[in-house]
Amino acid sequence: MKKNSLKTGPDDLGYYGEGDKAMGGMAVGETLMPALHELNNGFEDAIKDKDFLDEFAYYCKHYIGRPSPLYYAENLTKKLGGAKILFKQEHLNHTGSHKITNSLFQILLAKRMGKSHLICESGAGQHYSATAAVAAKFNMPLVGVMGDIDVARVNQNIIKAKHYGAKLKTVPGTLKEAITDAIKTWTTNPEYAYICGSVVSSSPFPKIVAFAQSIIGREIREQSMSQEGKIPDMICGCVGGGSNFAGAIYEFLDEPSVTKIGVEAHETAALTNGTPGIMQGMKTYMLQTDDGAKSLGGMSLGAGITYFSVGPLHSYLKDQGAVQYSSATDKEMLEAYKIIAQTEGICSALEPMAAAAEIIFRQAKDKPKDYIICLSLCGRGEKDLDTIQEHIGKDFE
Amino acid sequence: MSERLKKIFESSNPKTKLVSYFVGCYPDYKTCLELIKEAIDNGVSIIECGYPTSEASAEGPVIKKAHDKVLENGDTIKDIIKLVSEIRNYNNDVGIVMMGYIANLYKYPITKFVSDIHKAGADACLVVDAPHELKEENILREELNKTGLSLIKLVAPTTDDNRLQDIVKLSSGFLYQVNVSGVTGVKSANQTDVESFVKRIQNLTKIPICSGFGIKSPEDAIKIAKTGCQGVIVGSAFVKYIQDNLTDKDLPLNLGKYIKSFTKELN
Repeated sequence: MKKNSLKTGPDDLGYYGEGDKAMGGMAVGETLMPALHELNNGFEDAIKDKDFLDEFAYYCKHYIGRPSPLYYAENLTKKLGGAKILFKQEHLNHTGSHKITNSLFQILLAKRMGKSHLICESGAGQHYSATAAVAAKFNMPLVGVMGDIDVARVNQNIIKAKHYGAKLKTVPGTLKEAITDAIKTWTTNPEYAYICGSVVSSSPFPKIVAFAQSIIGREIREQSMSQEGKIPDMICGCVGGGSNFAGAIYEFLDEPSVTKIGVEAHETAALTNGTPGIMQGMKTYMLQTDDGAKSLGGMSLGAGITYFSVGPLHSYLKDQGAVQYSSATDKEMLEAYKIIAQTEGICSALEPMAAAAEIIFRQAKDKPKDYIICLSLCGRGEKDLDTIQEHIGKDFE
Repeated sequence: MSERLKKIFESSNPKTKLVSYFVGCYPDYKTCLELIKEAIDNGVSIIECGYPTSEASAEGPVIKKAHDKVLENGDTIKDIIKLVSEIRNYNNDVGIVMMGYIANLYKYPITKFVSDIHKAGADACLVVDAPHELKEENILREELNKTGLSLIKLVAPTTDDNRLQDIVKLSSGFLYQVNVSGVTGVKSANQTDVESFVKRIQNLTKIPICSGFGIKSPEDAIKIAKTGCQGVIVGSAFVKYIQDNLTDKDLPLNLGKYIKSFTKELN
């Protein structure tokens, strides 16, 4: 990798960038430090092993169904009358989101490292159900940790994971509390493998998850080149921890001609409204009290993007000015959901509707027709149907 | 290196030091001060004064509940440093260790934090989620060294000998030996495991070892004291006692008696 590349980082200790502005690192208790070093070594070793990467590629294709299509959303494009909009259809992956690619990668890695038991956290339950599926496939027991508020609102994922044989631990709260508790559960069982669902937490997780998900961007390049004869002018995705968006843009980080916009939930927009802090294993932008004692942030309808903090790679990219970050409200997300359901016949999860709202209301209209926007549709909407019905009813008109 | 901590461990009385953890300002500022005064009067050698963080990653249910209460009351790390200065005014011999997470220190920021706790009379600082791999730990360690205070480092059952060697080199004051893999106040410590861990550490260093996690009763404390460590650390058991007896008008006095049941066995 050449120096000056945004793809170079993080360093050995997990820092993106240098000096005071470096983001990431390893802020966890001593009990887990050996496990994190072991994981880092295991990862660095595995990605040099062709057989391991071939096995990952095999299951990506035959189990997950990759590559996910890059689909020309013609009706939406015509409705908005500006840029040409392509959907990266990550919701068509097995288990219904981008999450399974990371679950698959980390479980294959855990297997290679001789681990027998798994732990994961989840917000929207997408990572939980995806990890549960792969855990069943490779016959490894899994304990998932979720907040009770999320368990109540994404019931379908909970049921599926149960069918796959996973056990659920419920804690009061949402994704934030689930992440803190997953670390406690891992501290209690440091011999287990922790399958972290996003580009968050202590190093090496941000690096590992970004590596696994970077397949999204490589597919985008190949598909866009063959279908459109060029790479997209803009890539837009939603950001909670930021794994789907990191995966979509990683391939293009050294190409400033590609505009990249990550969209957080308005209530938990760490990159727009937060400041650097250190919590949950990493230094990154977050919403917290001035004295750093307490995490802050409200509730969004998108369970998977209701997160007060964000992966350190995104904080670094924000500071570098390489990526733009914005936010969308619940109202905008619901409106975008409605438009995409009606124009394209796609029932999307609410989280990517934050990114869709950015495209629909702020980006696409004033662009020329040959300007290509790639929108990452990272999850399907079944889990959110109750929430959607509650807020906008069954009959839109 | 803190001179006061050095003196504490050079003294043979008591033989095994009792290190006791309190959540600063729990259940409130005034009561907490009374509780700690009683702890000192009943033979505690070192007070660990905890400051709360909402996302504390190593606390079991008892200490988490206490952290949440302090945060809810609106007491901050500055209030807890003020509490430390009152403890120091009350007693000049007891060791005082500020204990918590890096979140608050990063925002304080670190240099001012060290200067403030030094002025308040603290001897050391222990940051649960700041391994030596973390930049902020390096900054904190350097500042504490410059100021003559100690950074207390943790070692866990998962820490192998190579890593132990690295940590021992950076340690000052005493080494906090974590007995079990887990959060505070849940698993129990096993005497045989602790003994072999203490031996493993003593093969590498002469720094005093204080053994913590999973010590729930005077009987546990006696067992752990026999492993060859210089101090035993009790946290959740005392915080739980406070939690279970919040309505007791004589809570400080009775906590003192409870603490005495530990210290009288450690002389």
